[in-house]
Parts: sequence; structure tokens; C-alpha cells
Amino acid sequence: MRTITFLPSYRKIDVDLGTTILDAAQRAGLNINVVCGGQGKCGKCIVYVQSGKTEFDRQKHSRFFTEEELVKGACLACATRMLGDLLVFIPESTLIQEQKILIEGLETEIELHPSVRKYYVELEPPTLTNPSPDLSRLLWGIQKSGGPVAEKMYAPLEMLREIPAMLRHSDWKVTGTIALVPGGYRLIDLQENDTSKRLYGAAIDLGSTTVVVYLWDLVAGNVVGIASNYNKQISCGEDILARVNFARKNGLSKLQALAAESINTALTTASDTAGIDRDDIYEVVVAGNTVMTHMLLGIDPAYIIAEPYVPVVRRALSVAAKRLGIACNPNGGVFAFPAVSDFIGGDIIADILSCGMSEREEVSLLIDIGTNFEVVLGNREWMFSCAGAAGPALEGGEVLFGMRANPGAIDKITIDPETLKPVFSTINGIKPRGMTGSGLIDLLAELLVTCVIDRNGRINTGINNPRIRKATHFSEFVVVWAQDTGIGKDIVITENDIKNLIMSKASVHAACVTLMKEAGQSRHDIATIYFAGAFGNYLNIKNATTIGLIPEIPYDHIKNIGNGAVTGANIALINRRKRKTLDEIALKIAYIELNAEPAFMDEYTSSTFLPHTDLSLFPQVQKMLDACRLLRG
Amino acid sequence: MGFDLRFGWTGPIGGVTLGATRSEGGTRRVSYRIGGGSTLPFLDSNSSFSSPLIAFEICDNPVFWPPIVRNYCGDLVNNVEDWAKTADSTYGADMIRLYLTSTRQRNFSDIPAVGKAVEAVLSATSLPLIIEGSNEPKIDSEVFQRCGEVAQGERLLLGTAEANRYRSIAAAALAYNHSLIAQSPIDVNLAKQLNILLREIGVLRDHIVIDPYTGTLGYGFEYSYSAMERIRFSALKGDTDLAMPMICSPADTLTIKEVREAESAVQDEMAATWEFYTGLAAAVAGAEIICVRHPETVGKLRLAFTSMKNGTGSAQVR
Repeated sequence: MRTITFLPSYRKIDVDLGTTILDAAQRAGLNINVVCGGQGKCGKCIVYVQSGKTEFDRQKHSRFFTEEELVKGACLACATRMLGDLLVFIPESTLIQEQKILIEGLETEIELHPSVRKYYVELEPPTLTNPSPDLSRLLWGIQKSGGPVAEKMYAPLEMLREIPAMLRHSDWKVTGTIALVPGGYRLIDLQENDTSKRLYGAAIDLGSTTVVVYLWDLVAGNVVGIASNYNKQISCGEDILARVNFARKNGLSKLQALAAESINTALTTASDTAGIDRDDIYEVVVAGNTVMTHMLLGIDPAYIIAEPYVPVVRRALSVAAKRLGIACNPNGGVFAFPAVSDFIGGDIIADILSCGMSEREEVSLLIDIGTNFEVVLGNREWMFSCAGAAGPALEGGEVLFGMRANPGAIDKITIDPETLKPVFSTINGIKPRGMTGSGLIDLLAELLVTCVIDRNGRINTGINNPRIRKATHFSEFVVVWAQDTGIGKDIVITENDIKNLIMSKASVHAACVTLMKEAGQSRHDIATIYFAGAFGNYLNIKNATTIGLIPEIPYDHIKNIGNGAVTGANIALINRRKRKTLDEIALKIAYIELNAEPAFMDEYTSSTFLPHTDLSLFPQVQKMLDACRLLRG
Repeated sequence: MGFDLRFGWTGPIGGVTLGATRSEGGTRRVSYRIGGGSTLPFLDSNSSFSSPLIAFEICDNPVFWPPIVRNYCGDLVNNVEDWAKTADSTYGADMIRLYLTSTRQRNFSDIPAVGKAVEAVLSATSLPLIIEGSNEPKIDSEVFQRCGEVAQGERLLLGTAEANRYRSIAAAALAYNHSLIAQSPIDVNLAKQLNILLREIGVLRDHIVIDPYTGTLGYGFEYSYSAMERIRFSALKGDTDLAMPMICSPADTLTIKEVREAESAVQDEMAATWEFYTGLAAAVAGAEIICVRHPETVGKLRLAFTSMKNGTGSAQVR
């Protein structure tokens, strides 16, 4: 055993010789940014070994470092093994930071009609002349207070064991909690005296990166607390595939526990903010992607990721919270959104529910962009869906100065057409450290409009401007000069970054077109395009169209629905009738496997152009670009 | 026959003029107007369809040339003037395509030599020329400028623009009124993208010849064929960004295993036959210029084109 000391926190941990710095840091509870899952591919886990012997192939990874960083002894935490006691400095930029998470309420009014309700009853004590059993007495009381018909309610054994003493101890004044579960109405809790105002529920977006919780007062019908935190499964792998592989190696129970723990942390934060007791949360509605849902339920996800990619169930599930380790009322329930396929999960069904496309006659196109993207096309009669890998470029990965939506990330940019000087805003307004997906989309569109890049994404190095230069490997455009950044080096976008972005946007657009062709719809048939996903709200719709991320339709017909997953979960939590439509939606959606569509590759290649090889598909953009070119001469 | 050979197509292929005679401001004995077709080639013997041009490829440093051609041509390959002359008078080519292979060495900087090579070939033959510049982005600009300059007025066909390097060659073509070859890797969309890029920096459609990249027969030519078919169909259906003539060079045929390992007695026959069939197939797919490297291929193609054009049935190809 050898000791690693991490600076600047002086956190120490003892580990075996040969352990990677990344492993050691994770064991020490330090969250290092590893986009590639520790494969030495992303270059985000830069640390500085200040003393001690290590094994690291600096030559092999040299492309990730500047001269200055090399001199200071930079290495990648994931690819460096310790050969003795170490003193390692972890720069702030290498740690995962507090994330800005999209939080927004509902725009439409939803009737408050939850599936769990409380009834306060004051019962007549039994007498020799009125000797009906305790349970009947209680259920009749609930029925009289507006509850379901007594005969239709069921009380499990655990409740029966508590009823006699509690009724008498409380002087026959109790509050019963009735939940509508798949088997019918069920008495899930009984409390002394009137607690009927203390009824809460949580709507949860269980994402592979973050967990978002909305805590609702189900009596008053308002949100009382919101919280979010990282999905703790990240310690078992950054991406879904890595986690499924982790599950395969007997890791499923750990992943299940971590999913529950992530939810519990958020629940605790939200309850504390709201000043409520977690035991008063009686229902938790979870919308997550297919794999997340499987993992939360402790169902082996291994078969979802292998051909022919079928999930275990395609319907919503209700489970007792305690069986999943969710820290709400012990008798509370968890409702999980249904999943359609490997990629079309509960989060997408929640998107569909929140944008309302399944209730309308006109055709809508829904696009959810995250690590992967999902596209749904359809109306109340029919729906097609598909999914694919957008690559991490749109989330800031595989881009030299790409980053998540952390403080200091540039999220909006415009470029002055004369001087090429960018004007930008950053998250939290601090000095820039990198660029988020929405910032990158703005940048790409602006570079195209100002003719810095051609439609192929190649930088025109013939332009005489200090911001345009040739670096060792690629030509690049300087977005921010070193002295104006928070990281002390020039923030640039390289031709290679642009190429990765174009490949990402091309796969999204190609997926949209493939679905549209499959359904015999042209862009003129699409009434509305909905953007979902955390990225949605910050996205500049016009720029997204300019680069050809989405089909061109009038800009005012494109809407950001933000985090549709949590919105959908909110709706399902407060209105149980809406919940009933979820299985119908899930069964209605036809899933198109893009890998099996020969036309997809063709659509992809034609989409690897700004905005597209077929310019007639982007008349507005074309007009705008022509006008810009005319100005430029 | 009363059969509509235009299938309701609307868009003719745009024309490109190569070479300039004295009266046109150059020094060539002929100039060609390629393209202009409104259906597929060899369909209608009565139409004004002209057979594809046959360009013979030579180079100014034979180290990079297929051994089979070096052996066949002997000493000629060391003298670019004599080689060009022979290709014109003996082999019977319609055009000469000069590859400036001398530029393909580390830190090449002798730009004046490039100009001299082009001038030498211009004076050795009066056929229109295709000039292939360097393979190195660093010297592209100078090489193309020099080629363009020394051949001003000759309406060269300059090669080769690709999606990641087209600005230098386009600049030279624009400055000295030459045409250029736009090459993309066997894909209709990529071909169109490059043509749009060229159009947007000012290269006119009648100065672009598409090179869809020619795979060797038996080694993926079917992909080239299908890409060419899609390019031509799109053009005939009215896509002006693809309505340019095409050039094909089956040069890779001369280094395939079947040719390399053929018995020496039949090696030339094997090489020429393979090059011939690949070139013929490319012509059928719609190519307006077929480039060859083996001298014996020229005659075979000529005979085949004539027979097919005249509809004289089974051509006696030897």
C-alpha cells in the first residue's frame, strides 16, 4: 500500500502500487472529469504529479498538453499509474463542478388529480349494537369523506396489524392514505389525528448524468422544492455502455443502489428546502431512459444493448418504494415511465406527454439531444421514433475547449462580421473556461455566416486576421485570447472540432429526414418542432437551423420544451388520468432502427454540409447566407 | 425506334471547353467542348453524341509510375517532351495529362522547374493538356500559380481539387481562365458538396469537371459506377450542381495483383485489357474523359467507342 496525497485539498488515500491516479482520486471521493470513461481519449483529466514515481506515456498523450503544461509535469489521471508515494495536484478545471440544470415549471394547466390521497376521519367507536369490524368502520369512514367505495379498497396485512391499536389510541381520529395501484385502491398508511395536509409527491428525471427532483404538495397542488445532483453511477462509468458493462460484472446491485441513492440525495435536499418530512412523500414518479429505468428497478439491462435490442417491459411499472430503497414513506410507491426500445425510454415518453404531440391532429417532430439523441415524429394517430449517437461534440466532448454547462462555459456567441471579434456570455458570468453545446452551435453558425469557414467547415486561412491561424495539427479560430480567459490559455475552435460538430449535427438531421421519409412527410407537413433535453432551453433556434441541425421550418414553429422528462413526470404525478395514456403512447410508437435503414448513411453524408447538400431544403438559410456573402463581396 | 431516350429528363450536362486554338487565344491545334449531353452515352447513334476523349497520362518523374508502363515505354519516361510527343503522334491520344510527380518529394521548392516542365509539354504537343499539380498543400498555391501562368490562354484542365484543398487550385484557375478537376471519394453527395464550395468561391460551372474517383474493375469499380450513375441521373433531372462532365482515370488497374503477377509474355496484354475494361465501363457510366497509362489501351478504347457509337454490333476489340 502506498499513499497518494491530493492537492490542494491534502486529501490522502492508501492504494495498491500500480493503481491509476484516477482510481485513487475516485476512491478518495474526488470527482474527476472523465468524459471518455478513463480511456485516455478525452484529455480532460489533467493532473500534475509534484513528487513521486509514476508510469505515464507522455509521448502518446502529448496532443492533450500545451508546452507549459508539459513543463509543469502534466499527465492524464486515467493513464498514470503510481509506482510509489505521490503528491498530486488536481487543478480546478479537472474536477466536475456544480452544474447548471434546466429547471422550469409547466406552461399548461394540469388538473390536480393525483393517484394518492389522504382522508381524515373521525369514527364512531364500536358498541355492542354496532359491532362492525375495525377495518370496515375505517373504510366506510374514508368512503364517507369522499374516498373510493369501501368494498373496492384493500388493506394489506401490515396495515391490519396496525389498525386496532391506532384507532383506539387516537380516540378514533385517524388519517388514512389511499393509493391507486394496478390492483385497485390500497390503504398504504394510517396516522393518528389529522395529517391530511401533509401529502407530497416527487417527480423525477433520472438521467445518466443528473437527477432532477420536483417536490409537489399534492393537496395544494404546487411545487415546494426542487433539487438536482449528479447521478452517482458516474463512478461506475461515464456513459451508459460502460455502466451496462459494469452491471454485467456483478455490478447491477451496486448500480441499483447508486441510482436509488442519487434519487434519495435529491429528495433529501428538496425536502429540507421545503421543510417537510421525507416520510410524507407518498409517491415518486420516475422518467428515465431505458437503461436507467432498468437499473433503478434492478432489472438486468444486458440484453437491451445487444441485438435485437429489446427492453424487458414496454409498459409503466408501479413498485413499492422500499423494495427499491427509495427514501420516501416506507409504504409509498414508485411509478416508472414505460420504455419503448433500447433508446426510446421513459424520458422520451415524458417528452411526448409534456409537449402534447400525441393529443393533436397535426404532425410534430420532437428532438431530444443529450449524449444520444432521440427523434419522434407523429400525431395522435401514429408515431415513428429513432435514436442514434450524436457523439459527445454537442455536449462539449471531443471538442478541444468543449465543456459541460458549468460556470465559465460560454453558452452564447455572436461574431462581429468586420473584426471577427466574438461577443459572448458565460454561465455565472465568470471568465470563460470553455464552450457548451449551445455556445458551439452559435459559434459554428456565426463562423459560417461571417465566411470564416466554408460549408464543409474548413477555416479559410486566406483571411488576414490574427484570430485565424494554423496550429501544429489543424487550423483554428481564436475565440478568446488567453488573458481574457479563466484558464490562462487561448480558447480556440479547431477544424477538427468543427468536423466533429458537423458529424454530430449531420446524424441528428439525417435521423429526422429518415423518419420523415419513412412516414412520407416533408418539412412542409411538420407543424411544430419541439426541442427537449437540458440543452434545449439554451439553444438558439435560428443558429440550430442555420447549421442544419434540424430541418428548416418557420422559426416561430420551433419550440424549446426544456427538460421534457421532468415536465412529463410532473404531469404524471399530479394527474393520474394523464398517466393512463402513457402505455398507449408507448405501444403506438414504431421504432426505426437506423442501422437497418440503408438510406440513413446517404442522408448522413448529404447532411455533412452546412446546412445541407440539398440547399433547397433550407431556403431561408440560403437566402440569409447569400445576403451575407453579398455584403462580404 | 420511337422510344424516348431522354426519359423525360430536363437538364442537359453543362459544357466545358478544353484547350484553345490560335484563333481562341492559345496555341493548340484543337479545342474540345465536352459535356452537353441530355441522355446517357451510346444510347442514340443518330444524336450529336461525341465519344469520350482519351487522355494519355505522363509524368515528369517516373519513380512514381507503374513499372509495367516504365518497361513498356522504356527511355521515353525519362524525357517528358518525347513522351508527350509519342503519346500524341504514335499512341493517338486526344489529350495529354501531365502529372508533376517531381514535386512529390520532401521540401520540394524548385517552382521554376514546374513551369519549365509545363512549357516543355506545351511545345512538344499541340493537344490540349491536363496538368496535375502537387500533392502537398504547402506548395499547392505556388505550383498551381506557375502552371496557370505559363499556360495562360491554353484553357488547361487543372487537377485536382478536393474538399479539403480547393482554394489554391481554384485561385489559379480563376486567375488564368483554366478549368479544374473536382475529385470526391465515390459519393454523389460529396461530389455535389465540392461543386457548391467551388461555385461559392467563384468557379463557374463550365470550368468544372467531376472526378468521381475510379475504383478498379474487380476492386470496387461497381461503387464508382453507381456513384457516377447517381451523379449523372441527378444532373439529367435538373440538379445544376452536378451537371458537369466527368473524368475517370483507371490508373490503379496497372498495379493490381492480376497485372503484377501475370506471366511476362502476357503482362502488357493483361494490363491494357484491365485498363481498357475499366475505362470502357466508366465511359458507359457517362465519363467524358477517360485517362489511361498503358499505350496499348488507347487503341482498344478508340475502337470500342467507334463501334459503340456507330452501333455496328459486336466490336472487334483486340
